[in-house]
Amino acid sequence: MSAAAEAPTGAAAAEAAPRGFARLLGYLRHNRGTYLLGALATLCYAASFAAVPVLVGWAIQALEQGLSQAEVVRRCALLAAATGARGALRFSSRTLLFNGARQIEYELRNDLFAHLQRLPQSFFQRWRTGDLMSRCINDLASVRLMLGPGVLSVVQTPILYLFVIGAMVSLNPLLAGLVLLPYPAFLWIARSFGRSMHRGNLDVQEGLAALGSQLQETISGISVVKTYAMEPAASARFDAANERLFAAQLGLIRVNSAMPAITSMLPAAATWIVLYVGGHLIAEGRMSVAEFFTFAMFIYELTFPTFIMGWVFALVQRGRAALQRIDEVLGTAPSIADRPDVVARGPLRGEIEFRRLSFRYDAGREPALRDVSLHVPAGSVLGIVGPIGAGKTTLASLIPRLLEVPDGQLFLDGVDINRIPLRTLRSSIAMVPQDGFLFSMSLAENVAYGLPSLDRERVIEAATRAQLAKDVAELPHGWETLVGERGIMLSGGQRQRTTLARALALRPSILILDDTLASVDAETEAAIRQELRQVFAGRTVLVISHRIASVCEADRIAVLDDGRLVESGSHLELLARGGLYARLASEQALDDELVEALDHLAGDGTART
Amino acid sequence: MSGPARAQDSLHEEEALGKAYDARLMARLWRWVAPYRWQVVATLLLTAPLFLLELAPAWIVKSGLDRVQRDGAAGEPGMGWLDRLFDPPGSIDGLAWLAGLYLLAMAGNATLQFVHTVLMARTGQSAMRDLRRDVYQHIQGLHLGFFDRYPVGRLVTRATNDVENVSEMFSAGIVALVTDVLKMIGFAVVLFLVDARLALVAFLVVPVLAVCAVLFRARIRAAFRLIRVRIARINAMIQESVTGMKIVQLFRREARNQRDFEALNAAHRDAWSQSIRYDAALFAVVEVANGISIAVIVGYGASLVSGGAMTIGTLYVFIDWMRRFFLPLRDLSAKYSVMQSAMASCERIFQILDTAPAIQDRERPVDRARPVSTPEAPPRRAGGDRPGEIVFDRVWFAYQGEDWVLRDFSLRVAPGERAALVGATGAGKTSVIKLLARLYEPTRGCIRLDGVDLREIPQRELRRRIAMVLQDVFLFSGSIAWNIALGRPDVDRRAVVRAARMVEAHRIIERLPQGFDSELRERGGDLSAGQRQLLSFARAIAHGGDLLILDEATSSVDAETELLVQRGLHALLAERTAIVIAHRLSTIQDVDTIHVLHKGRCVESGSHAELLARRGAYWRLYRLQFEHAAPALAAG
Repeated sequence: MSAAAEAPTGAAAAEAAPRGFARLLGYLRHNRGTYLLGALATLCYAASFAAVPVLVGWAIQALEQGLSQAEVVRRCALLAAATGARGALRFSSRTLLFNGARQIEYELRNDLFAHLQRLPQSFFQRWRTGDLMSRCINDLASVRLMLGPGVLSVVQTPILYLFVIGAMVSLNPLLAGLVLLPYPAFLWIARSFGRSMHRGNLDVQEGLAALGSQLQETISGISVVKTYAMEPAASARFDAANERLFAAQLGLIRVNSAMPAITSMLPAAATWIVLYVGGHLIAEGRMSVAEFFTFAMFIYELTFPTFIMGWVFALVQRGRAALQRIDEVLGTAPSIADRPDVVARGPLRGEIEFRRLSFRYDAGREPALRDVSLHVPAGSVLGIVGPIGAGKTTLASLIPRLLEVPDGQLFLDGVDINRIPLRTLRSSIAMVPQDGFLFSMSLAENVAYGLPSLDRERVIEAATRAQLAKDVAELPHGWETLVGERGIMLSGGQRQRTTLARALALRPSILILDDTLASVDAETEAAIRQELRQVFAGRTVLVISHRIASVCEADRIAVLDDGRLVESGSHLELLARGGLYARLASEQALDDELVEALDHLAGDGTART
Repeated sequence: MSGPARAQDSLHEEEALGKAYDARLMARLWRWVAPYRWQVVATLLLTAPLFLLELAPAWIVKSGLDRVQRDGAAGEPGMGWLDRLFDPPGSIDGLAWLAGLYLLAMAGNATLQFVHTVLMARTGQSAMRDLRRDVYQHIQGLHLGFFDRYPVGRLVTRATNDVENVSEMFSAGIVALVTDVLKMIGFAVVLFLVDARLALVAFLVVPVLAVCAVLFRARIRAAFRLIRVRIARINAMIQESVTGMKIVQLFRREARNQRDFEALNAAHRDAWSQSIRYDAALFAVVEVANGISIAVIVGYGASLVSGGAMTIGTLYVFIDWMRRFFLPLRDLSAKYSVMQSAMASCERIFQILDTAPAIQDRERPVDRARPVSTPEAPPRRAGGDRPGEIVFDRVWFAYQGEDWVLRDFSLRVAPGERAALVGATGAGKTSVIKLLARLYEPTRGCIRLDGVDLREIPQRELRRRIAMVLQDVFLFSGSIAWNIALGRPDVDRRAVVRAARMVEAHRIIERLPQGFDSELRERGGDLSAGQRQLLSFARAIAHGGDLLILDEATSSVDAETELLVQRGLHALLAERTAIVIAHRLSTIQDVDTIHVLHKGRCVESGSHAELLARRGAYWRLYRLQFEHAAPALAAG
């Protein structure tokens, strides 16, 4: 979070985003029609709710007073009609409020997704995918439960109580007063259990997380686990975590089951009072049996909403925590966005200039790049080499502004990169990142990923250049083959060639290749290089590699080491200098030489280029 | 969106998500519940007293009502003996006595309900704890190749979320369903016993309700299936977009992505709106049915009461029990969805459990008397027939299909011999050592240790003999000492310290604030590559295997650590049969034999001197390396 705070903040960050319940209010206001209707339906429902026990009493009264059977049946018919109306009202209040909650969930999820798409890479490096997903799915579900059943119950229960209390008092104020005595205890129950429920939920969540990371650790270190035959020790660790989770779950179960059990004693106590006091009143002739029925019915009808309140209490607790977790994502300002001072302009020509650029990922960490100054003329090819961790990828990621670039240190076509609209910037640049990430789409769709539509011609042209076209025929469904995580497994080389084709299809003015051909075999690499030479014409190209062979043909080569630009120049110049580049070159020449010698020895040297 | 693969994919998805009850899965699940069957029996038996305690309160109220009415009311109803059961002893006020009984019954009910729920959930959780343990054991036993293909995150989900879903079934699904059905039958029976005529009339609404339930069931099932498929798509899209956000942003796909996402999201919302409608309708129908049944009871009951065939108290009993009869029907669809997700999770868990480990011990491994190496005394390098002979006999190996990594590869390492593997990246060196540790198995050919095929040796026994040091040192969360001993009981603190001393890692360790007890931060993220190397050397020494497998790290380290690493390596190589993937000249000079690998074949073998004399590939390599690297090494 600190990096985002550190980085130059855009205009979006300046306006304070509403948090927590305030944020929800915005969505509620948005859907106020639904919610007002829902509230109205709930109000009517509450009225019909209170009417039913009164009507039962009324029917019993007819019986008690010895009225005609027809009158009893008439009153019962009215009762049946009332329950019918009550059912219809309940249906509408539930559908209205629950659909309202779903609508808000929908809007909130859209906004979350849109927000995620605006966040910089540094955010995704800090947050685990699983964590973000659980916020978009599970936490949102908790918020929705709070808004659906939660709001329903919060709105409904007090109204129900008001109606019921009103009806009871008008029937028999003394008994009403006595019957309602136990109910305030609910507040105490909810408070004390709410806290332990919250605690129990947290314990279980932590237990699950600990168990998950234990398993994750075993899998990540599976070669060590196996070769050191440490399965028993690893199992013991897992078992310990498993037992802790089990204990936490039992604890939660106890709290969760105790609360309804204790809550059920409230109506029990109320009925007890009705039975004892009401019984005496009836015996003394001061109360009718019909009233007794009405009171008993009222108590019964209140049982369910009271129960639910306990559950709703937990829902709101959970919903609030979930909202906070969602806020953590939504509250992260997109540190890479167009600023008010952007300069509208056409496509970039491709001139790149770093002016004493320094960059660090996190305030507390060592800078990944220090004081780099470098000028790349439009249309030229720059090679970037250096050991692993030298800052090559960081340097390249700054150009499409995947990372936050400090003001006044990186210029494209002479304009500060932070003043170029992101759209213009990124539509002029194509980058092939190291990890050959493909989406779960057809191969053709993947190659056309950056194009406005699936343009077959361009797809095939790009794929041919990337030496991908020849593989297509061998795939089960040709161009339509589903690739990516849910599709078939392409080989490392095929993936890299697909990502290369994806970039080439864009025909960008700046092309960045980040160690793109590492998994491609030598023969294909040579063919691709041949093609690239044509592609490179007229474009600014950055080729990042730890292999000298991949960069030696570049117009200029920048050598990075530990975040610093240590040397730059052409291949021959750098060799002559005898610095880091020359050393890397000789080490790699050694490797190449070895392969050549071995090829010769193995007798198939002629087959290779 | 129209690829044939995609269509097949979603079809499968729906099939897996549709079922709410699968007898085959349930039968399999019983294996984990069986140890707790007595708890299950106890839970079911508890239903009986629980049921009685649910019946009692209404009857007590009835007794009270009848009592206060008795003076005026005509005749005693047929079930007077039951009322007499609640008669107060002696001269206690009848109403006070009944009210006390009522409170007692309710308290008993609440207590029993609590015990019942806890017992039920405890049974489920115990079974799930065992299931989790078995899933873990199974995953741990799978061969390495499995993990190349199966993402870690998904495995973690199986052991956590999926097991949680199944456990929900115990607390809110099947068991609750069975108890509910038993109770409903119970209420129906007692209602008929109390008054068959009134019961018959009151239950008139039930057939209507049953028809509604059947009608709704199919729709609710379809709706839930749709929901599950759609939430799965949302899940997949978020996951993919977050993982590939760099590409999304680089290729400016945000707007299109947002459109696609909103479409999925809207489809999900609409699927829910269907389900909400059915759910609310079911809820309302149950409530209306209940209300109508009350109206019918009062209407018809009134004629019975005025005819003297029934007391007004019985009316109360009917109303109360009828309501309890309807109660379980209200959250039927919630239970349905719990069952559905439990079944889907079950299926996924069993898929993992059904993945047979590709590498397994033979039923009855060849029993060979073998001097067991202990951490204290690794076998001496002395006689001719000491163990440790390694033979690769015409081994072919591919990780996938026919992409051969090793082709007809043969190699012999004599006991006590130290062999180096040399070759370019991708020559197959790493595969050789992975095969030797039997993390993978050869596709063709065989590997023998002391004349015995590796497949005949129990994995545990084989690996206890191997000390392996990999390039990328994996450290576990825990202390330094734990990371050296790796939880093995026979490697005590003394052995750990001695091992660390032998490779001179103790200097670095003792510099840490808590020495050997220092907890590693983020799995050793605060240690340098060299320090991690030394720790792994100590680990290898402490475990005392007589076969050393070492993949030397290439990463450059600072001068001081470099010296320590070289000395540690020397200590490690002493007195062991070793196969080393060498990257340093100094290491190569430390070994007896050098094997040059190229494209999965061994192209040259011999001692340093022999190979130099042969003037082949090694000779060229050596000359080049010496010329180029000598200054660099000298500087180090």
